Amino acid sequence: MKASYSWICELVPGLRATPQVLAERLTGLGLAVDGLAQYGAGADQCVIAEVQQVRPHPNSHKLRLVTVDHGAGTQEVVCGAPNVPEPGGLVVLAPLGAVLPVVGLTIAPRKVAGIESSGMLCSESELGLSEESDGIIVLPKGLAKPGTKLTAALPATQDWIYELDLTPNRADALGHIGIARDVAAAFGLDWAPPKYEAKAAADAPSVESLVRVRIDDLERCPAFGAAIAQGVKIAPSPLWLRFRLASLGVRPISNLVDITNLLMLEFGHPMHAYDLERVRGSEIVVRRANAKETLKTLDGETHELITDDLLISDGEGPVGLAGVMGGADSEVRNDTQNVLFECAYFEARSVRRSARRQGMHTEASHRFERGVDPSNAEQVLAHALQLTAELASGRVVRGQLHAGVKEHKRTALQLSAARVSQLIGEPIGLDEIKLTLTRLGCQVKAGDPLQVSVPTHRPDLLRSVDLISEIARVRGIDRVQPVVPAIVPTRDRGPREELSRRLRAAAVELGLSEALTFAFVSEADLARLNAPAASVTLKNPINDRHTVMRTNLLPGLLEAASHARRHGLPEVRLFTIGSKYLPGGQNDGLPEERLSFAAIISGARPAYLHKPEPYDVWDAKAYVEGLVARVTRRAAQVRRSEAEGRPSYLHPRGAAVISVNDQVVGTFGPLHPDIVHANDLDPNTLVIELDAALLAEIGSQRPSFRDIPRFPQSRRDLALVVSDDVPAGEVLAAIRGAAGPLAEHVELFDRFVGGAIPKDHASLAFRVVYRAEDRTLTDTEVDQRHTEVINEMQRLFSATLRSS
Amino acid sequence: MPPSIDEALAQLRAEYPARFARAETEQVLREENAKLLGKSGQLTALLKQLGKAAPEERRELGQKVNQLKQEVELAFDARLGVLAEQKRSAELNARPFDLTLPGRIPAQLGHKHPISLVREEVIEIFRGLGFAVHDGPDVEHEANNFTKLGFPPDHPATDMQDSFWTTSGHLLRTHTSNIQVRAMSHFKPPMAYIAPGAVFRRDDDATHSPMFHQLEAFLIDKDVSLAHLKGVLAEFAERMYGPGTPVRLRPSYFPFVSPGAEVDIGCVFCRRPDDTRAGCNLCKHTGWIEILGCGMIHPVVFEHCGIDPEQWTGFALGMGLERIAILRYGINNIKLFFENDPRFLEQF
Repeated sequence: MKASYSWICELVPGLRATPQVLAERLTGLGLAVDGLAQYGAGADQCVIAEVQQVRPHPNSHKLRLVTVDHGAGTQEVVCGAPNVPEPGGLVVLAPLGAVLPVVGLTIAPRKVAGIESSGMLCSESELGLSEESDGIIVLPKGLAKPGTKLTAALPATQDWIYELDLTPNRADALGHIGIARDVAAAFGLDWAPPKYEAKAAADAPSVESLVRVRIDDLERCPAFGAAIAQGVKIAPSPLWLRFRLASLGVRPISNLVDITNLLMLEFGHPMHAYDLERVRGSEIVVRRANAKETLKTLDGETHELITDDLLISDGEGPVGLAGVMGGADSEVRNDTQNVLFECAYFEARSVRRSARRQGMHTEASHRFERGVDPSNAEQVLAHALQLTAELASGRVVRGQLHAGVKEHKRTALQLSAARVSQLIGEPIGLDEIKLTLTRLGCQVKAGDPLQVSVPTHRPDLLRSVDLISEIARVRGIDRVQPVVPAIVPTRDRGPREELSRRLRAAAVELGLSEALTFAFVSEADLARLNAPAASVTLKNPINDRHTVMRTNLLPGLLEAASHARRHGLPEVRLFTIGSKYLPGGQNDGLPEERLSFAAIISGARPAYLHKPEPYDVWDAKAYVEGLVARVTRRAAQVRRSEAEGRPSYLHPRGAAVISVNDQVVGTFGPLHPDIVHANDLDPNTLVIELDAALLAEIGSQRPSFRDIPRFPQSRRDLALVVSDDVPAGEVLAAIRGAAGPLAEHVELFDRFVGGAIPKDHASLAFRVVYRAEDRTLTDTEVDQRHTEVINEMQRLFSATLRSS
Repeated sequence: MPPSIDEALAQLRAEYPARFARAETEQVLREENAKLLGKSGQLTALLKQLGKAAPEERRELGQKVNQLKQEVELAFDARLGVLAEQKRSAELNARPFDLTLPGRIPAQLGHKHPISLVREEVIEIFRGLGFAVHDGPDVEHEANNFTKLGFPPDHPATDMQDSFWTTSGHLLRTHTSNIQVRAMSHFKPPMAYIAPGAVFRRDDDATHSPMFHQLEAFLIDKDVSLAHLKGVLAEFAERMYGPGTPVRLRPSYFPFVSPGAEVDIGCVFCRRPDDTRAGCNLCKHTGWIEILGCGMIHPVVFEHCGIDPEQWTGFALGMGLERIAILRYGINNIKLFFENDPRFLEQF
């Protein structure tokens, strides 16, 4: 909504604030000022000049030399406009030195087609008064003496315009009267709305004799007001009106249409002007549309209606979609003589449904949807008639016709003064409360609680708390002094945030970076991974890539890895934490949102001054073990995934199952080549998935203290050559078993193939640490045990000892 | 015949300094020393021969052998000292390390997403003020997202939040305010919760992402006032943006609060050392930057959740985490948050 500083000043005579100060105050009132722009910038530097003589330009047939009287003398200027008036006509001269910001021009002497010109005759667009203009401004004769400042002769040529970002509750601020009321209250000024009266001639006919109004649906249209003026002359509006509309972003059309627009901007109440001769049967009926009834609106579009739409119709058929737009057939035309003004009140929700259905968002529907003031119809119509008489020579028809509700109900609220202070947190006096509410249009009856009658222009004030809100707003919501509350400590509800934080910290510590992935994916994304079918499908997805809620976290990561590869980035180590949306576990009909973790690792591992090597399953395994250890303080068990139950997107050679405490908590492995290919990924891409919710259930193991060993350890190494299809883990487990309780620790520290090792064999080097808790082991004792271990390995795995 | 002890001593005395001097390393020196003084060293062997000497010579020879032994020991120590000094000096004076070689990459830390960084930071601040985290679902009942919060049906207020609907008639929450409803419906006040999480709106353009993140905080207790709301906001601004960061409330409207306000902080980009602000493009030359919306919880929300609004009052505030991160790190495009480009992520 655009608002005019000058208009607000006219409506609030006591206001003494600059446009900038008022801007801050408006924002402070909740009428947020998004922009403040000068209208008619440069107009104050221009003067009115009278044309003395017009002669052709010697070098151009498009240009003319115009001699003007600018009050302090005469001068000749070159002018290219087609509409230079005859001598005696008044024009607008931008003299030497004038700055016209709209066109970025400072007037200086310059040659135009060889003739020097030291000034410019201005058009409306050059002064920012309208978007475009066909020629220079020609003013009515006798407007002012030559030399008069343009802004003195025509104050409407200069203004400051606010761009207000209004909240949807403030229907009243969609008109200048509503804004003025707020401003007056904020500046502590007594204020009353303007009072209009349209005088009808003694012999004027009455409105009832010319038209009938019937409302068939009083719920949707509680009130319908009408007034008539006869013998109007359709013409362009006077300059002040055109400039005012233009400054507020409304294109001037003709005096009658301009009047209805001006009144909408004044009262916030949309109205409509009908050509009374075209209202068939001299009757207006407000009714529901018949199914499939059609209406051609004045924008030329034809609309098919349903029975939920509210129609204005005349004696024969529809003439307007109530609260949205008038019909083409009955609109005011250049030959209109008798005009019928409508000022009705339509129910907000009904207008909103109609407007949405028809895809129409009009200035009228915008206001009706938010709730116009039903009580100002009489004043709106009075001002309309008054202006029609003034500007279009209309003869006012006696009286107004108001069908429907006559007295509009005011909401009655009770307000405890103590509650005001309590909710705001500062003592607020009874006088301030009463005065503020009264200035906003409430009627306040003393007592405790106060009895407050809410004006009809504030349909948003529904509860006493809304009145408190008004008091806070007008006194300045920012004025309240901060008090830090003492908060009773509460426990977390739900483990997800804390679990996410721990997983995130663990992953980052291990060298993974966090990706944020969309929760919605496409069905194809899930199908490609053979992931469970979506349990949540969007009815109105924003595009075809985000149509269902994911049941697997990988699609987002695959996309990120593919993005990185397309941008030539050699290495990707990403994780994401988020929900999988699975078929509902609870009886509330909602899906189960299971917190999950996934990671993707691809490309080459960084190495020091050495050729980087591709990431492999053992990297992935280390990440998995590190994550599980950090989150649960337990060891992860990793085993090869059986063909049965193996995720189809994992490579069969490296697919692994992760468990903790014998519960399967996830999988990892290299991506299947088909998936790599389909997503255009690095061939060495590994993925990890963990069921974070399950990790949370398993919980973190508390450390349990054991005595630090007091007796020394004995270390023995052994290198075994075994067939390379024997998993090292089995050998290690066997060593542990054979070494018995004296073996405190067994580790594989080297694996070697090739060289002197026979084909299809591998050398596995283990270190066994022997220690007893209660004594120092003798060499003999350790050697004996270790020999038994070696013998057992030879027996179990046909292993041979590797000679060093 | 073998040389006499005297002859042998004379020969060893003549030889040992050169033998020690030839030893260039500690190990060689020790080996030489062992050849003289070790178990089967030459001097040790001479000592053993003393028994064969005539008794009248034995004493004198013994003194001579022991004297040589002491000389050798001293010489060994001296040479050992020299070698140690040589080694130390050589080490110190060896060619300097080539510090132009690239640094060896340590075990690398990963990077938290900037949204997570601000999320954790904001949570930390609110935890410090006494708030706890309350979980909630992304797929939600319309009642919890709109109706119980007092959004009237067919009201323009719902235009502000164009929703994703599911085929089963639920919606993706458009804000984290659904947690207010859930918390109030399940627990009795007093309560102080924060609700961080993903939210969804049907907007996808240069400044909007269809999924983004919010964090909501609400406090419900007896006599909670606007002053308390401002107190929490001021405290948040100080902790998040530094001491002395001013806070400004502007009235605004959200259906589930009254009064409602939008909150600005003093612009963090054009702040001068004296805490004045020059005005910049980011604050549109106002010196203020909007960071969140808030208000006193509307009584209708209490009633819908079975809480007596006469007895309890409360405030709620909600912020967009993307916006907080954008302001904090100077990120210029909301799309970057969801592209997961490693070159973006590694900056945080």
